[in-house]
Amino acid sequence: MAFTILTGDTFTSTGAGVKIPLPSSADYMEVFNITNLAASNPNEVTISRWFGPKFGLGASAPDGGIKTVKTTSDLTSTYSSGGFTYVRTAPVVEAQSANAITGITAASPAVVSQTNTYSDGDILQFYSTTGMLQIAGMNFQISSTSGSGYTLIGLRAAGFAAPATAGYTRRISKYAAVDPQFLYITEITQATQAVVRTSVDPTQYYVVGMKVHFSIPYSMGMYQMSGLTGKIVAMSAANYTMTVDIDTTAFTAFAFPASTSSPTAQLFATLSPAGASTQFNPVTNVQTGYDFQYQPFRTGQFTPYMYLSGGSQSPAGAASDQINWIAYKLEN
Amino acid sequence: MSFSTGITGIQNMAPELPVQASEDLLSTPMFNLIHSFGVDLHHAESYIGKTTRMSRFERLSTDGGQLDGTGIDPASEVPVRSDVDATMEIYAKSIITNEQVILYENSKTLTKFTALLGQWLREKEDLLMRDLFSSSVSYINATGGLNGDQPSNISLNDVNNIENILLGNDARSMLTNLEATLKFATGGVRDAFIALANTNLCADLQKVQGVLLKSAYPTQEGIRPEEYCSISRFRFFVSSKAAKTPGISMRGNTVYTIPMYGLEAAAKIEQNNYTAVIGYRPPWVVSSVAQNSQLYAKFAIARAITNQNWISGLNVTTFQPS
Repeated sequence: MAFTILTGDTFTSTGAGVKIPLPSSADYMEVFNITNLAASNPNEVTISRWFGPKFGLGASAPDGGIKTVKTTSDLTSTYSSGGFTYVRTAPVVEAQSANAITGITAASPAVVSQTNTYSDGDILQFYSTTGMLQIAGMNFQISSTSGSGYTLIGLRAAGFAAPATAGYTRRISKYAAVDPQFLYITEITQATQAVVRTSVDPTQYYVVGMKVHFSIPYSMGMYQMSGLTGKIVAMSAANYTMTVDIDTTAFTAFAFPASTSSPTAQLFATLSPAGASTQFNPVTNVQTGYDFQYQPFRTGQFTPYMYLSGGSQSPAGAASDQINWIAYKLEN
Repeated sequence: MSFSTGITGIQNMAPELPVQASEDLLSTPMFNLIHSFGVDLHHAESYIGKTTRMSRFERLSTDGGQLDGTGIDPASEVPVRSDVDATMEIYAKSIITNEQVILYENSKTLTKFTALLGQWLREKEDLLMRDLFSSSVSYINATGGLNGDQPSNISLNDVNNIENILLGNDARSMLTNLEATLKFATGGVRDAFIALANTNLCADLQKVQGVLLKSAYPTQEGIRPEEYCSISRFRFFVSSKAAKTPGISMRGNTVYTIPMYGLEAAAKIEQNNYTAVIGYRPPWVVSSVAQNSQLYAKFAIARAITNQNWISGLNVTTFQPS
């Protein structure tokens, strides 16, 4: 079987996992850690290889592949985890094992306790969150990540009756199969221009001038907001909020139902893209409604892609490592 | 052991040809294509960019308006226009065939492969529309079922709730009514919205209060094979490829997404001159020794939710965990 080089590139590792979009399906991939290859005795991964489904029984397992670790000699073995994950379809839930959490604080913002290898900005799907079942099924973006936990800026849980004592997460793709995507709402203020908090940073998907449509079940309090469409007038990446031109001062307060009311309480509060209002301000010379990076419906997560796990014992390497990669395709 | 009997049998004269092809090919599996037929079709012109803008003027306020006789004009209103944009994307697939396949295969391989590419084209388009529905629409968790999960299995209350949402937002039904006829065990079907469900939900759909299975419709004329049943104001179409997300319910079970919508809720935009291109590259182009030829299919598509007021839907789990 003859191979064709499909594509290749180089990057400097941040220590985190890396997604590599592939312009076509790949059958074989090699990743070289140039930094470790030059080191005398790093005891870290130097070369990683992945074999695709066409190799049948010889194909690499999900999150697997073959690694060569440079010690006093080169040791080659398979990845049991922390290797390559090849993703071909969307919507994407990355092929990773469920990870148990030990707690979520009833605080604002909420803090999660969990042994993890996640990175700041990752988006996690939460489920089976004992004690905090009203968020089971939602996804959240994480920040202030350490190996033992992280913060959920998008969840202000101080009003919750109790913390979560157990649960699971799985990392999911930052982008949906199609963007702009719907977002989970975790808070709406009662104001002449409502401030809406989402579970992820909304500035990754929406811009000022776009319109959003609200779906708020009765159990989430501010049901009067349901079915309304508002225009985004301001956004905050730091607080995961957007301000919309809807007067909510006379609406019922937004609140999550109690954990004990699950599974009968209707969930979740969400917003979804409803076009844009194209406008021009002749005083400030600002035009809205022509942001073709965010505004149009389009493919969000490109597939197929290869996810390289990060870290010194993984293909994407440790922080500052220089990584070269080449993807191959069988000619026929 | 063989005996010499003087009879010419297949043990001493086997067929010259050990196998023959049956008179027709077996069917190529194809999943139900349910995600495109209920959406509006638009066309993008060539040479004027890759983003199509669909605009809608929102209705005017009906507040006030009475003239009180003082001669003072009522305040004028600025109409609002909503612009929905969609970016054109191109998808392609090819099959490279060696000349020996064409030489030895007993019938028209290129014709068969062309048909396969045509099927790919329609299937891929269907999945792209499915992804639009699953990514960019707000769904509500079903809670009326009895499986104890969040979302629950589907129930009549959940379906009626979505009808309330759509009617409350002035959505128009998609399908006309089917008038009752004098046939036993059938009943009339109201004008209806469309609901798209995974085939894994069929067992649960059958158990929903008031369900009318397709066989109980007053007529089968014009009914699509993908249709499964009618519940309340919705007619359900099923596909094995309809949206589902494994392991994200409250109990970690698979969650199925059911888009439910009326007229002009979503759109598919085709690119003029690029709707469905199927082509052939001869061996002397593909291969230096003219041994491989290539068939390809390409199409361009843009997709958009054009009115969020007229689309909603349910997240559900199955009664038996899946």
